[in-house]
Amino acid sequence: MIQHEADINRENVPANTASHSTESKYYRIENFKYPKGIRLAVNFTVDFDAMLNRRLKNEPVMELTQGEFGGRVGIWRLMDLFDSYNIKLTIFTVGRICELYPETLKEAVKRGHEVANHTWEHHVPSDIELEKDHLLKATTAIEKLCGKKPAGTRSGHKLSLLKKEGYIYTSSNVTDDIPYYVFDDEWRNCALNLPFHYVLDDAMYFHFGWFGSGNAGQRLADPGKVYDIWSSAFMQLYKSGRYMNICLHPFVSGRSLRIAMLERLIVEMKQRPGVWFPTCEDLARYCIDNFPAPAEVK
Amino acid sequence: MPWKDGYTISDERSMGDEDVEWADNYQCAVGIVVDYSVRSGSYGIGPEDLGTHEAEFGARVGIWRLFDLFEKYSLRATFAVPAIMGEAHPENVREIIKRDHEVAAHGYRHEDVSGLDMEEEKRRLELTTQILEDLSGKRPLGWYSLPRQQDRYPGGQLSPNTVDLLIDAGYEYLGNGMADDIPHYWVTDFQTRRNILTLPYYYHFDDQFFLMFPAPGMGSGLENPMTLLQNWKYEFDATYRRGRYFTMVVHPYLIGWGNRLEILESILLHIKGFPYVWNPTGSECVRYWKQRYPAISSLKLERSIWRDYPGSLS
Repeated sequence: MIQHEADINRENVPANTASHSTESKYYRIENFKYPKGIRLAVNFTVDFDAMLNRRLKNEPVMELTQGEFGGRVGIWRLMDLFDSYNIKLTIFTVGRICELYPETLKEAVKRGHEVANHTWEHHVPSDIELEKDHLLKATTAIEKLCGKKPAGTRSGHKLSLLKKEGYIYTSSNVTDDIPYYVFDDEWRNCALNLPFHYVLDDAMYFHFGWFGSGNAGQRLADPGKVYDIWSSAFMQLYKSGRYMNICLHPFVSGRSLRIAMLERLIVEMKQRPGVWFPTCEDLARYCIDNFPAPAEVK
Repeated sequence: MPWKDGYTISDERSMGDEDVEWADNYQCAVGIVVDYSVRSGSYGIGPEDLGTHEAEFGARVGIWRLFDLFEKYSLRATFAVPAIMGEAHPENVREIIKRDHEVAAHGYRHEDVSGLDMEEEKRRLELTTQILEDLSGKRPLGWYSLPRQQDRYPGGQLSPNTVDLLIDAGYEYLGNGMADDIPHYWVTDFQTRRNILTLPYYYHFDDQFFLMFPAPGMGSGLENPMTLLQNWKYEFDATYRRGRYFTMVVHPYLIGWGNRLEILESILLHIKGFPYVWNPTGSECVRYWKQRYPAISSLKLERSIWRDYPGSLS
């Protein structure tokens, strides 16, 4: 049985509220600077839900198998690809993945990738007690399996709750194109935010019916087109010294034709001096240590 | 994998590229699927759909162009044939066999079976098998459940009973599943490991999502033949390097026309430029796979560790 039907239906439109915080008082980091010699930080982030989001939305079995590809095949290909270029991924995992793909997550940790939180079941319940329950379940499941509490989340969880569970950063929304702080409405609780833009989300180009878009809305793209968009974005962000966070779904980008495209992109990035590939946690800690949030905001 | 009924259909991890071996040292496999249906709704192909100019083109012109093109490049295909399409043009089914391609079943009229009760679905399945056997002289070994252009989801529709019914009816394989890009076992019961071998499908390699999609008047995506060709080429090249299974789906009523046929010829020519490419039909690939990677030794299912909680998915 699917619980909280109303929550889930609301999440179908207009955007992915599993990823997006509604609390987003923006606090800019003035004079933001990367470490010496760095011009641009690039994060490759992986939203790992396999078939859970499809299941949550009661999609038919063939759609579940599309998601299952992400767990059986895609996540491994992404790890292998990025390992071969010595780049650490940040894997935002739905908590339930700990019960479906435990060996995979353990392997990810062993290979040095970061495992972070992407809600318990790909949604944030509107009931506050249940939200607490879900956040605790996801945090505990990841900690138990991976041996370390997750430091970050891509979710719409309340900042006050996240703070209590020890989270230091979020990765959603795009109020700026460099890291910034998000505060709750009372300017009391905050987290560092590593913004990602939908332009850099594979599902926008490669997934049919993303969040209920009808057939008329489909513009399935080939990898060459997306390569052009992403490499232009990279060059602009590199020249201007901003921040790049590319969001990949294992069931989308794990397909052979797209792994090949990503490899071209990585090679292009690696040719430029001063490109930094930290995990999200490493970047967040750098920002927090060097540009701390204000103790008080007027 | 920790198996989870209602979530997963196979084991935790696919075979790595290094573990996939094809017969006779072939580097990769190429499965060409011809979806011999025409535009229809979820009801499937009705008399009015059979009589459109587009449908007539597919049956009288398009499919013949495919026959000739496949012959030109010595390639073989699996034709997924709805029973009603076979009955409308028996000469086409005979020609498929004559040209050494395979006839697989594609529903009674390519209907959406997800809402049918088990008895009705079983009745149609048996009827379809019988009709295709009568027309082609061979009992079909494969069953396809490919999507229709108007479907809300692009993977094709199954009912909760479809896979079990196919196993009961003696089908050797399900032609389209999206959980892998090599053949994989689709399990319907954890305890008994009851399963059917499934061939991979992905809508990014299916012409109907790129050619007049959606239909005129239904949107503005329309005609993107070069996107289709690029997808095929990117995927083939990557699959060849990995040594896995490349598959593409074409519809005679769509791909058979004008410049689109050149798109198809381009990819076939491209494929033929590579050595050691194996091009089996569906059942040939399945026969090899079951012998080389039988379920009993290659399927690795583990008991579920999923826990149910109040307020969580069960």
